[in-house]
Amino acid sequence: MLKLQDLTKAYRTDEVETVALNNVNIEIETGEFVAIMGPSGCGKSTLLNIIGMLDTPSSGHYFFKDEDVAGYSESQLGVIRKQHIGFIFQSFNLIDELTVAENIELALLYHDIPAAERRERVAAVMDKVGIAHRAKHMPSQLSGGQQQRVAVARAVVGNQSMILADEPTGNLDTAHGQEVMEMLQKLNEEGTTIVMVTHSPSHADYARRTINLLDGHVVTESMRSKI
Amino acid sequence: MLLNNYLISAWRNIFKHKLFSAINIFGLAIGLAACILIALFVRDELSYDKFWSKADQIYRTHITFSVPGRDPMGMVMTPGPVIHAFKKDFPQIEYASRIARLKPTIIINNQYFVDDISLVDEDFINIFDLEPVTGDLSTALKSLSNIALTEKLAKKYFGTDNAIGKVITIDFDSYKRDYKVAAVIKDMAKNSQVNADALVAIDEPAWKDQDWMFDAWFSTNSHLFFSLNKGSDIKSINSSMPEFIDRNFPKLPFGGSGTKTSDFVYMNAMNIKDLHLKAKGDGEYHEIGDMNTVIIFSTVAILILIIAAINFMNLSTARASSRAKEVSLRKVLGASRKDLIIQFLGESILITALGMIMAIVLVEFALPLYNEILGKNLSIDYASTDLVYVTCLAIFVGLLGGSYPAFILSHFRPSETLKANKSAESNASIKLRSILVIVQFAVSITLFVSTAVVYGQMLYAKNMDLGYDKENILAVKEVYRDIVLKKLPLLVDEIRRMPNAISVTWSNFMPESGNNNNTLVRTGDQAMEDAILIGNREIGYDYFKTYKVPLIAGREYRIERGDKEILTDDLRKGLKYTGSIIVNESALRRLGLGSAENAIGKMVFISKGNPGENLEATYEVIGVVPDIHFDSLKTTIRPEIYDLSPSYGSVISARFSGSSVAFTEQVRKLWEQEIPSIPFNYDFISAAVAKQYNAEQGQATMFAAFSCLAILVACLGLYGLASYTAERRTKEIGIRKVMGASVFDVVKLLIWQFSKPVLIANLIAWPVSFFTMTLWLESFVYRIEGFFILGFCLLAAITALIIAWSTVAGNSMRVARANPIKALRYE
Ligand SMILES: Nc1ncnc2c1ncn2[C@@H]1O[C@H](COP(=O)(O)OP(=O)(O)OP(=O)(O)O)[C@@H](O)[C@H]1O
Ligand SMILES: [Mg+2]
Repeated sequence: MLKLQDLTKAYRTDEVETVALNNVNIEIETGEFVAIMGPSGCGKSTLLNIIGMLDTPSSGHYFFKDEDVAGYSESQLGVIRKQHIGFIFQSFNLIDELTVAENIELALLYHDIPAAERRERVAAVMDKVGIAHRAKHMPSQLSGGQQQRVAVARAVVGNQSMILADEPTGNLDTAHGQEVMEMLQKLNEEGTTIVMVTHSPSHADYARRTINLLDGHVVTESMRSKI
Repeated sequence: MLLNNYLISAWRNIFKHKLFSAINIFGLAIGLAACILIALFVRDELSYDKFWSKADQIYRTHITFSVPGRDPMGMVMTPGPVIHAFKKDFPQIEYASRIARLKPTIIINNQYFVDDISLVDEDFINIFDLEPVTGDLSTALKSLSNIALTEKLAKKYFGTDNAIGKVITIDFDSYKRDYKVAAVIKDMAKNSQVNADALVAIDEPAWKDQDWMFDAWFSTNSHLFFSLNKGSDIKSINSSMPEFIDRNFPKLPFGGSGTKTSDFVYMNAMNIKDLHLKAKGDGEYHEIGDMNTVIIFSTVAILILIIAAINFMNLSTARASSRAKEVSLRKVLGASRKDLIIQFLGESILITALGMIMAIVLVEFALPLYNEILGKNLSIDYASTDLVYVTCLAIFVGLLGGSYPAFILSHFRPSETLKANKSAESNASIKLRSILVIVQFAVSITLFVSTAVVYGQMLYAKNMDLGYDKENILAVKEVYRDIVLKKLPLLVDEIRRMPNAISVTWSNFMPESGNNNNTLVRTGDQAMEDAILIGNREIGYDYFKTYKVPLIAGREYRIERGDKEILTDDLRKGLKYTGSIIVNESALRRLGLGSAENAIGKMVFISKGNPGENLEATYEVIGVVPDIHFDSLKTTIRPEIYDLSPSYGSVISARFSGSSVAFTEQVRKLWEQEIPSIPFNYDFISAAVAKQYNAEQGQATMFAAFSCLAILVACLGLYGLASYTAERRTKEIGIRKVMGASVFDVVKLLIWQFSKPVLIANLIAWPVSFFTMTLWLESFVYRIEGFFILGFCLLAAITALIIAWSTVAGNSMRVARANPIKALRYE
């Protein structure tokens, strides 16, 4: 699915240069479930953002479906991202002024999909994550777990082949965290590639492979045989 | 202590939010400055003649002649003999005086001057409290050879010398007399319709050979002021005017036996305080104002203030949400709601105070230009209560703009605002804000359309085809004076001979100035009492050639054709001969003379002399001219005859080619050589016509300027709001971009957000402007078509959208371009 080759990302702020990623080489196959772990500030979010094409690397190559996107412009990246990648954030990132259904529909809004089809797909995905009864509610009226389920629904409604999740359970209690992990696992079983950043080893256990980062380097990669 | 804390925190807040504060202060400053400027104008307009100690008792009479088949002729003057009958018939009258302002030649030590001299009756000084400086004002007007001068004139004539006892020779044409300066008075107030520079008593017998001045019942050449006895009611006089007229005025020679003079003549007295803004009619000595203008500008001032206050409110409530955390924290730390309200109101008032100081600076910078445009001398009087008013205004705006945000902010509940992921702002306050933006734009668009209509109408009037060619005509004035008239043929001849002169003529009127001379005219088919009152102008040879008016039929007066003037004295002696006359198309229709070609050669009878003399002269129609827009465009063209006047005129008009300066200099040389005693006084007809629109032009410019300011203030607010909204929506926009929205999608979203209120504002503004401006246009006889207003509405809509877009676009682009992870990172 994607391959990172000698990928480096450096932030330059007021004379200080922070190397967030240093010579990272990673390959992720289609249908994989990968967890990224590491201490705070080691570059996990940076890596995820680059994989998600929200950010561009300073140097190195990023092959997405055999296409080197490292030098692509923002709008070129936007087109690919829109087609293939869905996001889930630690802080949910729902729009406060829109209802649950509208928040989910947002993922289809910029895809040239007729309104009727959009509504159908939103209804279907809400059923799937179990928040159909909250369709008309505002995000502020939901619990954290419910909000994250809306975010998951939003990430999958566009039928993207890869979902990137940055600490999706970070703001949730154990029970709700579990719920979300099970949902991700189910999606993975249906064929969606998932890359997830997490601090929780137990949640990392859901993944088939864990990548450990330290100061911008990949330190270990461990495969798990399926239970 | 606490107050100090509030002030410091307010001051810090202003600095912390530089953009908001700058927009707020600057917007307020512009709004307040506009308001102050308009208030100065309005106050001056409303102050006219309010300062006389007897102002409540002083009245001026106006007269209207309503002749069947003609527009009523309203005069703010009164026939000369009315004063005597008034004093006899109305015991309610305490004092009465006429004022006739003339421009005689004044000779002092062989030096010649031309100045305004007011001829008044003795009681003038009992009606109006003048401030004497030297001499004895109380007896000054008792002698017919005394003069009272204002300090201004005394200084002009005698410098620093004591003027009392000095002799001034005044040549009134009717008579020439030595006047002794008996009193010097303070210059009279500018905001007065009776402002005069010099006073002499009316000597009626001396005007016998110009009896229309003070002794003709159907001629108006002076104002009549009177003061009522205390306790008397003006209604008792106004209601008995018809009887007064029938008792005193001679019977009019038309209308037949069943009619009374009061059927055609209407008189009314108006309080002096109302004259400047409400008097309507010809014959004012000073420029008058217009109540509508005062109302319109007051409205504009209030609207601008509202727009500025809305900005203030919107920006403050918008900012309120970003301060929600601060407020909540303060509350948690023990601040009461009252404390918070005081804090936020304090901030508002501090901002308004800064805005006010800036406004005063702006006003001081703008005043010179403003005064020039309006032809006034306005200023802020810092020693008086002006500053108090301005401060009150600022506090009022500060409270108005600050109270709502203070209320909103202090209302935040910490439990809600401190909770993450909860928008601090209620939907109600967002809704209110968009309603206020709609109001701002509706007002701005209405002002825009109104300005366009006012300007359009003015340009239309200025450029309307007058029926004559006003360009390249030099008008030489002061011709009516005896010394000049004696040399009229010589002057005309000499000017005609100048190489650049094309055609020269003379007349008893300037084309743009009002003319209210009327004469009874009938055809052979009409009885004497069916004679029709027709406007009468006197012209010399080659008049229509000089003004480039093509005749419809016949010819104009030519010296070589032997056209004759009929002298009234000849008629009195029984001498009978036929004169020549030129009529306009309206007169042709009113008299029933048929087609222009048919009218040539027909006879008409024109009455001469005083009413009652029953003198008629016979004229042959020799020419027909089209209806020409002499006078102002505010009146319809009347039926007119153009009578030949070979030896009298008040203006010589010369059409020239080449340089106007060189030609004027040539004529000036001739004048100074022939008539050294009277200063050369000239004008260009095009300039004189344009001058008619000076006041309108000034007001239209002022209107346009204030409309622009209103729009500018509204845009400032919109800009602030846009940058706030963009800031508030960064997270949302980040999410949308992650979801696949392109930069264009985002810009579209933000721009639509601000287009919606503008479009709704248009829906409100269009009908309002269309209705009011149609109403306004109705006061013009010649006006632009109503569909122009629709055009202006469309233009306003497009302009408003473009302005709104360009105001918002910068921010939108910036926000749309930003990398979404930045927005989503720190949540
Ligand atoms: N926009 C930026 N400008 C400058 N430095 C940045 C920027 N974004 C990230 N960094 C730096 O890059 C490094 C990696 O940051 P990153 O957010 O990827 O860490 P992380 O592993 O996600 O940490 P956490 O577990 O706390 O989320 C950090 O040292 C951070 O300070
Ligand atoms: Mg992170």
